[in-house]
Amino acid sequence: MPKKPITTQDYIELGQFYLLNQKYSEAIKQFKSALRLQPDAKVYFQLGLAYEATNQIPQAQEVYRKALQLDPQLKEAAEHLERISK
Amino acid sequence: MAKSFVVIGLGRFGSSIARALAEKGFEVMVIDSDENEVREFAELVTHSFVLDATDERALKDIGVADIDVAIVSVGQNIDTSILITLILKELGVKQVIVKAVNDRHGKILQRIGADKVIYPEREVATRLAESFFSTKIFDYIELSPIHSIIEIAAPKQFIGKTLKQIGLREKYNVTVIAIKRKIPILTEKGTPDFKEEVIIGPGADDEISEGDILTILGKYEDLEKIERL
Repeated sequence: MPKKPITTQDYIELGQFYLLNQKYSEAIKQFKSALRLQPDAKVYFQLGLAYEATNQIPQAQEVYRKALQLDPQLKEAAEHLERISK
Repeated sequence: MAKSFVVIGLGRFGSSIARALAEKGFEVMVIDSDENEVREFAELVTHSFVLDATDERALKDIGVADIDVAIVSVGQNIDTSILITLILKELGVKQVIVKAVNDRHGKILQRIGADKVIYPEREVATRLAESFFSTKIFDYIELSPIHSIIEIAAPKQFIGKTLKQIGLREKYNVTVIAIKRKIPILTEKGTPDFKEEVIIGPGADDEISEGDILTILGKYEDLEKIERL
């Protein structure tokens, strides 16, 4: 049977799995792969969470901003960005 | 022309300054009353003398008056440091930098003409405070001239180990008073987020996770070691 190609959704789900299991470095890799295929505000936000969780604050700020550029209504990104920029 | 320096007093502070200046290629003269201390520097610096620096004539004879910068670091002996500072100013040394052991000592030194008074213990504290703006240190509280509390991202070497395994108390001489941790959760909308948990007074068996922020109490020099990890 031919291998099913890895989709953006696969990367996102895997990223979320790693994020919820506190494997942040792995989560970062998966979210970045997903974003390479398709930029998405929610995925940028989750990448931001992984950066924030590992105290990589400048990187987190950058991707929260990207999330807000794509979706200015994404409340959670705005909240996190505000919190870490204090 | 490069500046010339004389370092008077080769204790821990004086000797590290003399060494650093010599390594940078400056002309350095060192003076101490202890022959053993001076001998160590004989090959490293331009001139080294065993003499009592409160002896004005002796200082004159070796040409201290022509030196640009004098650094006086004679340990806890306040009277001696004041007397030497006074002599150096009278001899006409352009810049006299003196190590002070406390505020009162510092004030007297300024009154008698010291160009700069330094408090090495405090300088360490300031450096640490400056690194508050680094990505590693999140907060900083000065408790006393010796101790402070810092909030720092857990160094990589600590991750996955218990406090006991890390040996913070034994190896680093510091105490972790709290651990701030982000716990990932799924929101009602089904998207990940996290909540913050604070473990106050963690036990020896508490394990450090990736992303933890540690609140640590200790001496400046010990905290600096952790920061450099």
